[in-house]
Amino acid sequence: MTTTESSPPVIEARGLTKSFGDVQALSDLSLSVNAGQVVGLLGPNGAGKTTAIKMMTTLTTLDEGSAAVSGFDVTTRPNEVRQLIGLAGQSAAVDEKLTARENLELFGRLYKIPRHERRRRVEDLIEQFDMAEFADRPAGTYSGGERRRLDVVAALIANPLALFLDEPTTGLDPRSRADLWDAISMLAAQGTAIVLTTQYLEEADRLADDILIIDHGKVVASGTPETLKRQLNRDVLEVRVATEDDVATVLSVIGEIDGVAADVAGRRVGIPVGDGASRSLELLRAIQDGGVAITDFQLRRPTLDDVFLVLTGSLAVDTEEGAA
Amino acid sequence: MTMTTTTTRDSLPDLIIDPSPGLRLRRAIQDTGSVLWRDVIRTTRQPEMLAFAVVMGVFFLVLFNYVFGGSIGAGAGVDYLTFLVPGVFVITALQGAQQTSLGLAADLAEGVTDRFRSLPMSQLAVITGRTIADAMRNVAGLILVALLALLMGYRFASFGGAVAAIALATAVGYGFSWLGAAIAAKIRQPDMVGMLSMFWLFPLMLASTAFSPAETMPGWLQPFVKHQPISVASDAVRALAGGAPAGNDIMLTAAWIAVLLIVFGPLSMRLYRKID
Ligand SMILES: Nc1ncnc2c1ncn2[C@@H]1O[C@H](COP(=O)(O)OP(=O)(O)OP(=O)(O)O)[C@@H](O)[C@H]1O
Ligand SMILES: [Mg+2]
Repeated sequence: MTTTESSPPVIEARGLTKSFGDVQALSDLSLSVNAGQVVGLLGPNGAGKTTAIKMMTTLTTLDEGSAAVSGFDVTTRPNEVRQLIGLAGQSAAVDEKLTARENLELFGRLYKIPRHERRRRVEDLIEQFDMAEFADRPAGTYSGGERRRLDVVAALIANPLALFLDEPTTGLDPRSRADLWDAISMLAAQGTAIVLTTQYLEEADRLADDILIIDHGKVVASGTPETLKRQLNRDVLEVRVATEDDVATVLSVIGEIDGVAADVAGRRVGIPVGDGASRSLELLRAIQDGGVAITDFQLRRPTLDDVFLVLTGSLAVDTEEGAA
Repeated sequence: MTMTTTTTRDSLPDLIIDPSPGLRLRRAIQDTGSVLWRDVIRTTRQPEMLAFAVVMGVFFLVLFNYVFGGSIGAGAGVDYLTFLVPGVFVITALQGAQQTSLGLAADLAEGVTDRFRSLPMSQLAVITGRTIADAMRNVAGLILVALLALLMGYRFASFGGAVAAIALATAVGYGFSWLGAAIAAKIRQPDMVGMLSMFWLFPLMLASTAFSPAETMPGWLQPFVKHQPISVASDAVRALAGGAPAGNDIMLTAAWIAVLLIVFGPLSMRLYRKID
């Protein structure tokens, strides 16, 4: 009787808004995450990612908007919300004097997992995340990556319905990062609703079903990785020329071709190109035909800055790479 | 409306909605036990903390007895060591109470508090567990100080008197632990918290009957000296340890402890909840 066509979202946020004094940390963020879905919050430092996570996990008050987990409002029913979520915050929040085993045991107790089940869970997680080597040393002695791993694993101890991961892979080596990616995908496959933040386009692309790109507290783009990539994932052709005049010539040549927004930094011109190689050849030939001496060129993957350039038309930050 | 919430969770704890006051209390006690377990492990991993907890008591015991003993003791009416030891008990317990401040501030700095705040636990338990752990360490510290006092020639009136004296000193320390908790929740920076703890402890300690009788102090100060909690507690512990009639002092000490708990219990909880 109560079965509905589509189950309601596990995590739902509407119009999340928060300011700290004069700083508008977040304005009007909305998202919804179904069971088994991963939503990625992508943005540079200070974008408001952590603020959003803290609001959805009862750690910070909401100026405006609302957030709920499994229908329980974070403001009015925080005690129910806390039973359903797991959080790995940005700063690894583990007890440095306790070992990994003891940390997990402590958090398991606080989630009220029965003793027998708790023991099994702790051992399973230690094995699954390859932590046996350091599981009996105080966490204060861990490397950054080991501590990060413990922190993320601690969020999994109660097998939460909704999982919040704030930059889970920052500071991990490539191997640990890949392992964690696999684990996150597996949790989603098992039905966990996941919100994760990241500064890496690649990570959001790999893990998220839906991505929200935020900057200065505002959502500047959102969609599936595919839709975003169609807008964003253009390679960038970088051309270096000898003189200022040449820069002007290059701009006019490519302007005639299709009027794309090029990014000028000194004598370097960055040109977003849709489909990489063939398009680049075409452009390079046109530039050469315009009588410009190209001193150097490269084709590179877009950085987050390119993404913002394309999306907002601003943020033309000169990323100095030094002359080479 | 709540149909959507009856999610079965793979043998993990069932979701508890609107717990009864009884269940809430039971869970709060369980959480306090868990936090206590954690804090006791922390204490055993940091034996230097126990050393810190007794160092001031040992220092005062030795310094006052051997260096200033003659001059201060003149007005005490009894052998000075007999006067001094119970006061040192109270001071030792108070110093233990400062550890509550420092420990909570360290948690806040380490970020583990953020995790506690995201967990389905009684937030009060974070502080109660800590204060109980500190009280337990205080008992250990007081026993060490008592042993040193015995070596120096001090004698309790009876074994029961010794137990009662240590118990009362611990209770006083427990009351002040909640003052320490409130300071930590308000200030949060560990070094600032350490400084502020000195601010209340030193004036109260020096203008008290812990080390010397009220009569040896300036007349204008005496009314304060006689009634402030550290004096009342020192007099009460002195009576218990020495097997003398304690008069009102035990009642007054209990009243001071109650005041500390009633004022700083809810206050530190409110401050802790405000962390954002
Ligand atoms: N407690 C606070 N008091 C004042 N300003 C704050 C506070 N917390 C966050 N801010 C500000 O709000 C903005 C958003 O911060 P937030 O931590 O959410 O960014 P972020 O996207 O997580 O960045 P990062 O990638 O560096 O972690 C920043 O400008 C930050 O300085
Ligand atoms: Mg952040």
